[in-house]
Amino acid sequence: MEGTTVLTEQREPIVRAFLRHARAIRRERWGNLWGYVFIAPALLLYLTFNAWPVVRGLCMAFTDYRFLIRGSEWSFNGLQNYHEMFFRDRVFWHAFAVSLKYTMMTFPVQLVLSLLVALMISSITRQGVAAFYRIIVYLPVVLPISVAMLLWQQLYHYQFGYINYLLKAVFHVSQPPNWLGDVRWALPAIATAGVWKSFGGDTLLFLIGLYGINRELYEAAAIDGANAWQRFWNITLPLLRPILVLIIALNAGIASATQEMLILTNGGPQNATLTLGLYGYQLAFQQGDLRLGYAASIYLLLGVIHMVLAGLVFKFFRTERY
Amino acid sequence: MAIQARVWTLPRSIGIRRRLAFGQIILHIGLLLLSLAVLLPVLWAVSSSLKGPDELYQAVPSLFVRQPTLANYQYMLTRMGNVPIYMRNSFIVSLGTVAVVCLTASLAGYAFARMEFRGRDLIFTLLLLSFFIPQSGGLMALYELMSFLKLRNSLIGLILLFSSSLTVPIFIMRQTFLNIPRELEESARIDGASWWQVFRHIAVPLGAPGVVVVAIITFVRVWGDFLVTLTMIDKDNLMTISIGVRKAATTGISAFFAGSQFTGKFATYGADAALYLMAIVPVVLLWVLLQKWFIRGLAEGVLKL
Repeated sequence: MEGTTVLTEQREPIVRAFLRHARAIRRERWGNLWGYVFIAPALLLYLTFNAWPVVRGLCMAFTDYRFLIRGSEWSFNGLQNYHEMFFRDRVFWHAFAVSLKYTMMTFPVQLVLSLLVALMISSITRQGVAAFYRIIVYLPVVLPISVAMLLWQQLYHYQFGYINYLLKAVFHVSQPPNWLGDVRWALPAIATAGVWKSFGGDTLLFLIGLYGINRELYEAAAIDGANAWQRFWNITLPLLRPILVLIIALNAGIASATQEMLILTNGGPQNATLTLGLYGYQLAFQQGDLRLGYAASIYLLLGVIHMVLAGLVFKFFRTERY
Repeated sequence: MAIQARVWTLPRSIGIRRRLAFGQIILHIGLLLLSLAVLLPVLWAVSSSLKGPDELYQAVPSLFVRQPTLANYQYMLTRMGNVPIYMRNSFIVSLGTVAVVCLTASLAGYAFARMEFRGRDLIFTLLLLSFFIPQSGGLMALYELMSFLKLRNSLIGLILLFSSSLTVPIFIMRQTFLNIPRELEESARIDGASWWQVFRHIAVPLGAPGVVVVAIITFVRVWGDFLVTLTMIDKDNLMTISIGVRKAATTGISAFFAGSQFTGKFATYGADAALYLMAIVPVVLLWVLLQKWFIRGLAEGVLKL
């Protein structure tokens, strides 16, 4: 200790020069080290709880990992999960069909409805009133999904629900359906609730796009004698295209709908609302020895489908002009 | 010239305005009907929660309440499982996550916006790109990870887990810091302020709007989360309201008050409605009062990404 101090005192100029040199090299190579300190907490959280699960989930999709069986964490089985899925698992194909049906019910309705509502709200001339409608339309989006679905469960209730009351009292239907308990009606009923929950998000995105369109274009077109439909078709739609593409790509994920069914029916009645997402969830967390591996491979398939669809949408509908 | 032009176009513009006014009325009627339809589930819950048993279970129920009562709210708060505890847990987890996200995201956003270090742009680009990778198998892997770390059935665990969705917050904070003028920070640096001091006393106060946006979107996301919370929490006294509502709505039945002729699933219809309403009050208030910030978050977070 003493020796070092003496040494440092004796050779101070050299040591200091060396340190300065080292610092300069460090600065050149690594830049401002405080930068790393500043991003460290975020990066640590992100890598642990976000990046790692994605990587691990990817690995898991090729194993026969069952949570309750010790030592099966890394039991890779190649493509066996996918072989089982495609050739032996009847429930998988049933769930696939349900997912497809659900997407067909919600996707077009949600797209058209949100575009229509956005067009209506953007045509309102008084700003305060437009803000009022925006608040209402987006309200379902901020609600917790569980509460939103349970609110609909109350509406759908066979005896005391408002919908059946309306059907009975106003439209004189003597035998209204038991919405969530009926094989034919359960999926459309959930789809309605699902669209109600999320169309406001798309509406708001459309609105942001619509407010960005220059008003003068419409005035010019109106002076040239274009009617409302022509203005929509030739001005609004082309200029809205980037947002439209984004929304379609985002909505491609509807196919993995899980929570709505998990909350309302857990797949019933008679598996009529068992989507792929829910099937995966049940396999992983509700049934037998918790087949995390097989469930992960189902989710991987869903993710790949979503990515491919979104990619296709971007490839075919994107324009170079905007 | 200008005046002449105006005079010439005057009659025509009046015609257009009249047509517009008519169109506006149609628009308003359409939108009002739509708003009613959108609000119906909530309105029905409000009405149900204020009804007594006689009105709730009558043959022809109505949206309007004749004899409002708060009995349902009282029942919900005192006899439906651990509802007050669920609410407390929700506040702990949501506010905790908001605090962690705001701190970490603004630190990182500031570093990405202002500091120069090796690999900065690479790290940032990777972070953004990872946003587009589907997190499909993530839930299963999270289950394993949280079990391994002994963070299942822990509110701290939930906070850490929710705080890790940092891509959008970091992006918003970086945009915010890039948009504030550089000169103030630079002169502070020359005067000898440390990076932390510059960040704490200059950047954060100027970037406060961004922090508010991040706080709001995070609060709503965490308050409403269902799937992750459901897989991570089994213990009743650790449940948040978003998974607790389902449990309370079903346990309410077994604890149903004696002496009534109504049994079975919807014996607590009115109390359920009261419960649902209480669960949505915080997010609805946030949205209604601060909608401008919200839309800004949406525009900056989703559209620019």
